[in-house]
Amino acid sequence: MSISKTDHNVSDVMLPLDKVPVVTPKSLLKETLAEMNQYRLGIASMVDDAGVLLGIFTDGDIRRMLLKDQKPFPALFADDIQDHATINPAMISKDSPLAVAIALMEEKEIWDLPVVDEENHLVGLLHLHPAIKAVMNL
Amino acid sequence: MADFSDASWAKPTGEVVDLIQVPAYLCRQTTVLRAAAETERPVHLKKGQFMSPWNMKNSVRKLEAAGNDQVLLTDRGTFFGYNMLVNDYRNFPIMMETGYPVCFDATHSVQMPTSMGDISGGQREFIPYLVRAAAACGINALFMEVHDDPPNALSDANTVLDIQYLERVLAHAKAAHELRLELLDKWGEDRVHLEN
Repeated sequence: MSISKTDHNVSDVMLPLDKVPVVTPKSLLKETLAEMNQYRLGIASMVDDAGVLLGIFTDGDIRRMLLKDQKPFPALFADDIQDHATINPAMISKDSPLAVAIALMEEKEIWDLPVVDEENHLVGLLHLHPAIKAVMNL
Repeated sequence: MADFSDASWAKPTGEVVDLIQVPAYLCRQTTVLRAAAETERPVHLKKGQFMSPWNMKNSVRKLEAAGNDQVLLTDRGTFFGYNMLVNDYRNFPIMMETGYPVCFDATHSVQMPTSMGDISGGQREFIPYLVRAAAACGINALFMEVHDDPPNALSDANTVLDIQYLERVLAHAKAAHELRLELLDKWGEDRVHLEN
């Protein structure tokens, strides 16, 4: 194992779109949780009809929501995810250097970054484990 | 207005009514909802006695998916153990979150489902109380069945309101509604504790 400066770009390391949870604003909370569970990731990206990234919903959001919201679970499950998502989240361009992306994740203390193209269409997800693996030449 | 209980009856019903009603027991049935939507009439969607108010959004979305966005949601009471209904007035603001108007059905709310052996009983003496409270809480419409000879009504004989009481019930409803509007004007919208 060695740690090296990497000349990877985000697009080299990101998880592709068909391997990450993606929902729309009117997806139910329960559907969103099912997506996250299916892909075993703690984040779902919320996009519009054109695939433009609008927001995210994370495991941390679930925790905060459960402590704050007194609605019964069946009512929460029926909520639209847009009612709970973080709008205009941190995101990274697919062409950004991986080092820049990792620095942003460090700054924001997050483990996932939605990856977008020039017009903010979601194209993938940068997850911390593959990023570290690339940097550590594992 | 009339309802239908078989999807194939929707089209002929839709031809002769201004408002087509989906029966409460069938409020989740996709084929019935689609058939109602396809009449292109406004749909009177009654919340099932077994349904939560937040799950009515699913039924509304089925109507919208079938191309119909003219919906009136109605609360006609919720099961409260066997042979009894209760009115939970939280249902009005919750169902209003769908963006559609909400109606209170005072007649069926006082029903006691199948309490009389093979038919439903009811306590129509509570209609004025429930109507006044519903109007004060905030509703967009009121539904009542009235009759000039309730014991001999062919349908819902145990819950129809005698027409001699209609004017006073409506007067209370109107006054409660207008007071509510005055209070909203003075104090603003009811929604507090949005952080919860």
